[in-house]
Amino acid sequence: MTAMTAIQTEHLQLDLGHFQLDGVTVSIPEGRITAIVGPNGSGKSTLLKIVSRLAAADGGEIRVGDRLVQTFKPAEFARTLTMLPQSKEMFPDLTVQEIVAYGRSPHKRFWENRMSAEDREAIEWAMEATGTEKHRDRLFHTLSGGEQQKVRIAMALAQKTGILLLDEPTTFLDLSHQLDVMEMLQRLNREWGLTIVMVLHDLQQAAAYCHYLIAMKHGLAVAEGEPRKVITPRFLRYVYDIDAKVRFEEDYPIIIPVQKAKEDSTMVIVTNTSQIKKGHAHKLIERFDKVGKVEFMEGFLGLEVLLTENTKDYEEVSVVTRWRRKEDFQAWTRSSAFKESHRHRDIPDYILSNKITFQEVKIVREPRTAGTEPAETAQSAEQSGQAVQSVQSAQTVETEETAETAETVEKTG
Amino acid sequence: MSSLTLSKRRKRIVWALPFVLLLTVLYGLHYGSVSIPPQEIWTVFFSGGDPLYRQILIDLRLPRVAIGLLVGACLAAAGALLQGVMRNPLADPGVIGVSAGGGVAAILTMVVWPQAGFWLPAAAFAGALASSLAVYFLAWDKGASPVKIVLAGVAVNALLGAVTSGLMVVYSDRVQAVIPWLAGGLEGRSWHHLRFMAPYAVAGLLLSVPAIKPANLLLLGDDSAKLLGQRVELQRMLLILLASLLAGTAVSVAGLVSFVGLVVPHAMRLLVGDDYRYLLPLSVAGGAALVTLADTAARTWFDPIELPVGILLACLGAPFFLILLRRRKRLI
Repeated sequence: MTAMTAIQTEHLQLDLGHFQLDGVTVSIPEGRITAIVGPNGSGKSTLLKIVSRLAAADGGEIRVGDRLVQTFKPAEFARTLTMLPQSKEMFPDLTVQEIVAYGRSPHKRFWENRMSAEDREAIEWAMEATGTEKHRDRLFHTLSGGEQQKVRIAMALAQKTGILLLDEPTTFLDLSHQLDVMEMLQRLNREWGLTIVMVLHDLQQAAAYCHYLIAMKHGLAVAEGEPRKVITPRFLRYVYDIDAKVRFEEDYPIIIPVQKAKEDSTMVIVTNTSQIKKGHAHKLIERFDKVGKVEFMEGFLGLEVLLTENTKDYEEVSVVTRWRRKEDFQAWTRSSAFKESHRHRDIPDYILSNKITFQEVKIVREPRTAGTEPAETAQSAEQSGQAVQSVQSAQTVETEETAETAETVEKTG
Repeated sequence: MSSLTLSKRRKRIVWALPFVLLLTVLYGLHYGSVSIPPQEIWTVFFSGGDPLYRQILIDLRLPRVAIGLLVGACLAAAGALLQGVMRNPLADPGVIGVSAGGGVAAILTMVVWPQAGFWLPAAAFAGALASSLAVYFLAWDKGASPVKIVLAGVAVNALLGAVTSGLMVVYSDRVQAVIPWLAGGLEGRSWHHLRFMAPYAVAGLLLSVPAIKPANLLLLGDDSAKLLGQRVELQRMLLILLASLLAGTAVSVAGLVSFVGLVVPHAMRLLVGDDYRYLLPLSVAGGAALVTLADTAARTWFDPIELPVGILLACLGAPFFLILLRRRKRLI
């Protein structure tokens, strides 16, 4: 980012027991619009509150410009940075102009009521910039939700700060008012160079109106950059735990979730079980090692070798391979590698018997949290009536999923 | 109600109140077991006049009317400030322990030192301030939120109420004198009481003027006020101190006069809205007029018995308050 930094946080820590910020380090570019996105409870609003000094962090530091925030006096800070909290608080019975005029408070002594020419100019500018001047004499609570939000923004603008933070400014508004507010903020940024930072839930708005995007998850900033570069399927999977395709139409990302319940397929499990004279199991395993190259075969999904030491006079070795299709397994048995290893057709005398079974099972992928017990999975799959042929196959699915999760972590981590 | 009618109404009320106040004062001076015609009142003040009228007016009615004005003004101002600071439309000076503290101090004075009627106002004043400070500091935990203050107030009120009842039971013979005071009245109040309360009352009312802007900003909510650069905790503490000073002053002389601090700011809020630039001065004027008027009624309507004005105010205030609650759908 070539732009100057308006706000820099370093390792912000906050532990509230049920929730924590875990060392948030972000820089917010000056004169740009920055969106903070992330799932509920990821710490977006808390971050804004700490930056705006409504809440205190346990550790870390915040600089606005090049000054630590705690070196500002309250009024001085309110002339530098302000925020629009989530609109839950009821405003008193006041006219629009009276409320906007409150924005001038940090510029005056605490008992002063009289407005200077500069104050009046700032109030007029704030009402014009938000298009609320036509309502100046109306009582705040007689306005629609969208108009009320603009009046709140006008009050913040009248503070004449260079930095404006907004906590979900569009959440309670209908679509047309949402776009109205976003366009207004865009105009304020373009015309007046206002640094805007907002928590948004709508990724499309974040991408369409913001220059910079910061994603949070579990109290950490996990991604930042230009929205177009940040919003990818991998990002959606990591930050929101959703599988989706992303396509950009002009500045708008179109996010198409992949429906998980319907994404199922089949696989083939081949179990080759041999009974072996006691003490000779390792020979078979060594022999199998030489077969090799199975993992490079088309359609190969996985392999387990199980050794059972019985109390009887033989041991059992099972070689379980999993394949996408039966043809893939058959292709392997015809491969040169396979033929190489089975060149000597005579069966060693330590193999007492040999049995091969095929199972064709259906894989049902379900979203689940890490650490779910395989048994539970099988049960829930059965209860939900989804087709799973046996407990054994459900366990196989679990193995499969675990392998995939590990892969994801590797990619994103 | 549209903004046009609101600003018109504000203007009308601002114009009307001085006249209402003047008429109330004249009525209070004029009316009683001996009625004094208005022109006689004029004569007494400016050119001697009838000695009997003079004695009644100067020694009895004038201090009592003046005390009524100040008591009403202080209680209504305290109530108006507390309702905003606590963001609770049901807040009144009782919430922060002013009445209970004043009551206990007054009874203790009577029990320990029965001859000290002269010091009763001072003791009640000190008790009222002390208990409201106790409420505030009990509620303190990195800042005193309104909810915690209300809860601490409930606890302190309950405790002090128990002490009051206990003292009244154990020392029933000594606390006769304090019972009218507990009911809240102005019977027998004179220059001595006025001299005691006037400095505090005037100081409190004057300090209310710079309190208007912070009180307005706190109405926006703590977060918004902080974002506007206000030191919210400090301002809330100062406003609560100011309200205790005002209410304690009233309690010291008039005893436990209820409902003025609750009903008057409420009624004014209905008429002029939440803006303290209007609400506070109009509450002051309205409270002053109401207590003076009610006291005149209380001492004359049931002649020869003088009813404590607190009882009359509660009887009138309770139904009026219920009507307000029904009419007003949006509280604060």
